[in-house]
Parts: sequence; C-alpha cells; structure tokens
Amino acid sequence: MNAAAPLLEIDGLGKRFPSRDGRSMSPWVIQNLSFSVKDGEFVTIIGPSGAGKSTLLNMLAQTDAPSEGEIRFRGKPVREAGARLSPGLDCQIGYVFQDDTLLPWRTTIDNVLFPLEAQGRLDDASRARAETLMKAVGLNGFERYYPHELSGGMRKRAALIRTLVYDPPIILMDEPFGALDAQTRVQLQEDLLRLWEAGRKTILFITHDIAEAIALGDRTLVLSRAPTHIIGDHSIDIPRPRNLRDIYAVPQFAGLYETIRAQVQ
Amino acid sequence: MITTGRILLGLALLACWEWGHRVAGNLFVASPMEVVQRLREIVEDGSLWGHAASTLWITALGFAIGFFFGVLLPFLLDQSERATKAIEPAVLASMGIPKFALAPLLILWFGIGDAPKVVIIAFMTFYMIFISTFSGLRGVDHKLIVMAKIVGADPMKLARDVLWRSLQPYMFAGLKVALPRALSAAIVGEFLVADKGLGYMIEHARQMGDTTGVFTGIVVVTALVLGLNWLLERLQAKVMAWRPKDASVAH
Repeated sequence: MNAAAPLLEIDGLGKRFPSRDGRSMSPWVIQNLSFSVKDGEFVTIIGPSGAGKSTLLNMLAQTDAPSEGEIRFRGKPVREAGARLSPGLDCQIGYVFQDDTLLPWRTTIDNVLFPLEAQGRLDDASRARAETLMKAVGLNGFERYYPHELSGGMRKRAALIRTLVYDPPIILMDEPFGALDAQTRVQLQEDLLRLWEAGRKTILFITHDIAEAIALGDRTLVLSRAPTHIIGDHSIDIPRPRNLRDIYAVPQFAGLYETIRAQVQ
Repeated sequence: MITTGRILLGLALLACWEWGHRVAGNLFVASPMEVVQRLREIVEDGSLWGHAASTLWITALGFAIGFFFGVLLPFLLDQSERATKAIEPAVLASMGIPKFALAPLLILWFGIGDAPKVVIIAFMTFYMIFISTFSGLRGVDHKLIVMAKIVGADPMKLARDVLWRSLQPYMFAGLKVALPRALSAAIVGEFLVADKGLGYMIEHARQMGDTTGVFTGIVVVTALVLGLNWLLERLQAKVMAWRPKDASVAH
C-alpha cells in the first residue's frame, strides 16, 4: 500500500432513487461528488438541508449503494460491481447517528459493549477499554442505567463511545449533537476533540452549524443543493488544542465563517 | 384502592350468582356453597389434579408447537419480501377457517387420543403469535437494525439482540390473548373427545344432569386462566424491567 495514498477516496459519486412506482428514476440527489480524506484527518461537512448529507454517509457506511461512482478505502474499491453491500465495511467504518440508537433494553455498559460482543472481541482488555472511555466522558456510575434513565447528553456520550470502543479507522458522524442544548453541546464537542486528539481517528462529521464545522475540523467541505457535489474545500488552520468556548475570538474564525456562509446557500 | 375494588366486584358477582341460583333453581344455576363443597371433595379425592394435569399438558404441548412456528415463520419471511408477499395472505386467509370445524377431520387423521386436540391448540396459538410477531417485526426501529449491522452483528445476533427484544411488547400482547384461547381450545376439544381433562369433567357432569359439577368445572377453568395471566404478568414485569415506568399509572 502506498503510504501517501488517501485513506478514503470518493470518486464521481452519484445517487438517485427509484420513483415510487418503481418504473422510473427520480432526479439525482447526489451527482459527481468527489473528495478524499487523509488518515487521521477530521473533516467536517456542511450543506443546506435536503442536500443529501445522510445519503452520502449511508453510501460511505455501505448501508446504501451508490448509483454511480466509486468509493476506495486504502486504495481499493470497497465493493465490486453488483456485489452485496457490507455495512460498516467489516467494522472499518463506525457510524454515530443523528439519534443515539441505543438499545433501550440494554444498560449503558451493555450498549457500549454491544459491538465487541457482536464482533466476538469481548475480553478483559476490551472491557477495561470500555470502562476507561466511560470514565473519560463522565459516564462512570451510570453503567447499570437504562437509556431512558439518562439525559440526552449522556445518551449521546454513550453512543459516541460505543463506536470508539471497537476502534474503527474511520468514524462517520451525522449531526450527532444537533438536538442538544448549547451548553451540553460544547461539552460533547470538547469530549469528542479530546478523545480524537488522543487517538487520531479519521472523522467525517456532518453538521449544519458553520461554527461547529470550523471549531472541530481540520478541513471543511461545503455541499451544494441537490444534485449535491462539493463546492468548497476549506483548510481550517486554527491551531490545536482549541478552546471551543472562545473559538469566535480566534483571528481566523471570522474570515472562515464569512467565506463558508457565503457558499452555504 | 385496586384491591378494594377487586374485592367489591368479586362480592357483587358472587351475590348475583347466589341470586340467580335462588331465582332459577338448582337445575340451571348451582349454588355457590355447593360448588365450594364439591371443589373440596374433588381436591380431597384427588380427581381434580388428574383432570387439570391432563388439560394443562395438552395445552402446554399445543401451545409450545404453535408458539414455535408462530415465531419462526415471521422471522423466515422477514428474510424475503417476495416470500412474504406469497405466503402472508395465505396464512391470514387460512385463519378464517373455524378450527373446530376441522375437528372431525382431525379425529379421522389423528385418532381420538390427545393428538387432534394438540393440533387444534397449536393452530389457535400459531395464528395469534404469528400476527403479533409479524406486526412486531414490521415495527422494529430500522435505525437499530442498521446500527447493529454496522457494528458487525451477524443475522443470529441481530435476530436475538435486536429483533427478538423489540418484539417483546407485541409478544406479551399476543400471549395474553393466545394463552386463554389455547386453554379454551383444550377444554372444547375435551368436550368433543376425551376420557379425562377438565373439559371431559364438565361435559360428563352435564350428561349426568349434575349442574353443580358443571359450575365447579367452570370455576376451576376460570381460576386456571387467572393464574396463567398472573404468571404472564410476573414474567412481563421481569423481562421488560427496562421499560420506562409511566408515572401516571404507577399508583
């Protein structure tokens, strides 16, 4: 494998859905969308609502097939033409959903351990790792609680570490902090950055909040309206570690915000 | 409050029964006191246990068979949209066949032992459980399925840890209907052909003109249904302890 090759390459991706009667195809939702992501990069993706952001992530996560184009992981296409989808690409791609998708009948710790159980990797070392992560986001003491007994912020944290616990090289995040209040949201962003700086996973983070996109990312991609493609690719040169509570005061912030806002229409 | 209400309702029903007995006479409505007396007799001479055990045995057997297929078939159909479209309407249409109308045929095929009764009970149970499982599977949160697949769950793990658990509210609703029906099917089956069991006990008493015996049988069957429901509710409380308790109905 070429060390310089991008971890993930998206090449000419397009998606359209069959119409309701199944006889024709609806217009393109996504068309001619290309970008690549380097190992360890934190990429934020921003776009107007209805821009097919979730559709894009679903294709990357292999839960939906592209209508055209190719996705390459470490230089190799993720799927031969006509082959079956493999959701999560054999646990190489993690996905933190918009909703927390915790299993309501499992306690917090059992939710966090679920991927390890499913992958047959549950042992003392992985349990210890789960406990460390629980502690890192302040969920220690809530191991035996059911999801409905937790606050919205705690459920998000549990969903986040459920993905971190099995260490997928790529993590997709679909507006994960959208439904939270401002205070909880900043806390979760801080938690996420701290965990990311410790492990340097590759993250693709979708948001509709320009400030969040700038605050978190190494790079921000701007999506057009449908048919969606990339209309902006901005390098966020704000040094890390970042102070999220004062991100507006960073000199580069205002310029980036204006440029991106002008593109997001 | 609830217990007081229940006791009052019980007393009111008992009073109605006694009143009915006095108006209609012994031949039509047995006296509650005589039923209690008879109950004591059949407990003491042990004949109740033999009949109850026989009825419960065929109920359990038929129920287990019906439950197994009632769960299995929807899970299999869930694998294929085409199979669902082909098979589901046929299953629902066949539900319209009155099961007891098949009794003569079943007796012809399976003889006059327990087998025809077990088959009828199994059918009764199958349809109830099939419908709860089938609609339950349709109601599973699709996002949970996607999540489980992404984190590496194979079809077995998905079925056990996501689908089966999601089904449970539907399952208990189905069980609450299916279990008393299964028991009723056993009793009716025993009316038709049996030499033991609670249904036989009731039918035998009727033929003897023994109204007290008929009433005693009904009381025993009612008690059994209440007992089964109680067990079911205990089980549900245990299995679904994860569910949020609704504060408005807790007290």
